[in-house]
Amino acid sequence: MGDTQPRRLEELLARELLRGLTIVGLGLVQVTLLITPLGFSVPLLLLITVCKVLVSVDSPSPERDILRTLRLALYGGITLDLLSATDLGVHILALLLATLFVMLVTHRLRVEGLFIPLFAMLGASPIYELTLTLASDSRPTDWLIYSRFILLPALFMALIPTLPIYFSLRWLLHRQKEKG
Amino acid sequence: MRDFLDDRPIKLRRDRPAATTSGRLMFVVVGLCLLSGLLILLDRQGWMGVVRTSLQQALVPVARVGTNLRDSATGMTAFLGDAGLRERITQLELENSRLHEELLRYQQAQVENLFLRQQLAIEQKHPWKLLGAEVIVRAPDAGRRVVLLARGAQDGLSSGMAVIGQSPGGPAALVGIVESVNHATAEVLLLTDVSSQISGRVLHGERTSVGLVQGQWQLGSRMRLVQVDRTMPLAPGDPILTAGLTASLGLPLNLATVPPNIPIGTIEQIETIEQYQQAELRPFVDPDQVRYVWVILSQDD
Repeated sequence: MGDTQPRRLEELLARELLRGLTIVGLGLVQVTLLITPLGFSVPLLLLITVCKVLVSVDSPSPERDILRTLRLALYGGITLDLLSATDLGVHILALLLATLFVMLVTHRLRVEGLFIPLFAMLGASPIYELTLTLASDSRPTDWLIYSRFILLPALFMALIPTLPIYFSLRWLLHRQKEKG
Repeated sequence: MRDFLDDRPIKLRRDRPAATTSGRLMFVVVGLCLLSGLLILLDRQGWMGVVRTSLQQALVPVARVGTNLRDSATGMTAFLGDAGLRERITQLELENSRLHEELLRYQQAQVENLFLRQQLAIEQKHPWKLLGAEVIVRAPDAGRRVVLLARGAQDGLSSGMAVIGQSPGGPAALVGIVESVNHATAEVLLLTDVSSQISGRVLHGERTSVGLVQGQWQLGSRMRLVQVDRTMPLAPGDPILTAGLTASLGLPLNLATVPPNIPIGTIEQIETIEQYQQAELRPFVDPDQVRYVWVILSQDD
């Protein structure tokens, strides 16, 4: 009886460590393996964060699942900050604001079909990119050009894998729940 | 009720509380946003340097494995095709590279002789003391053009040093400037980044003029040469080299370590605006594609 609590704490810490390492691994995949020849990268962690929020919103315990997603944004943001030479906190802030946007937009919606994930990414990707730009002190001189050459390509890079990642995550979570 | 009368199954709607906007969640999100803002501030003040460096050191070896994996996957396509043909292409590329460098050196020598400047470095094949470095990480954001090198202060790197690369068949050319240095890594601002600015010297026959080379990647092209005197004749294909103006001033500035006469690129398109000319540039080395670079530690005088 006496050692139940320490064991639970160890278990929690081990789980959290594993979760953190998985996210660090995903961040490494994003910065090393997913760079495209045109210089744009698939924003894997943004995609996973947004899709995880969407899946969490419709889950039986949304609050717990969204808290997990926020931890994903935190660990993922730190990894990207370390690997992309930005100030610590810039990617965390960008991922959190994108998450907040999706949370606010979908809180009264039933997340079904193809369009809600696409619309969520349509809003989240510019928020993510804009936060990165503004928080990195690299304000563009011409916003129109910035939109054409940074925001739009980044948006396309995010939109293309949105549906596969969203449905894969949903399938994975359903499977986990069936097993559980 | 209508569904019941029509004998159709009623589609139940689950009454779900707005859990995603609950007070607790909002509190956590706002708290985390404030935390990240605090982290940004602390990092800008330099308080997170030790933490950042130690965490980066832990991540860099793993990142290097990932980059090597990607490079080897890309290189697999090179095994396709005829071996003899590939050998011949390699030889031709080497010869082309040598001829290109010789041509550039010849043009530089013409200009320097004309202005009676002594530049022994041009006569030498490698006037620079170089240090090779692997590109381990490229910036994952569309808005910034930086790369992370697997070399740092422990290898003698410091801010402002020039970083060169070489494409097959081309001369060794500038790809960026070391922006910041950690113990084992260094961040390089690529020439194509919009915040990159360096003085450049354009060569046209026996004439030369100085201008400013600005990164343009975020504006839809690669690089642009601006503020070139209107009277200077320019033509597509004219080479641009570093001018080394900061170094010549002898001021303790970062860019003072960038030597003159490092090839940058060639002119593609020219336009005249008021008293100045500007030109789109094609870099000799595509900074977004380099895998291995050399940092110029010093120059033999």
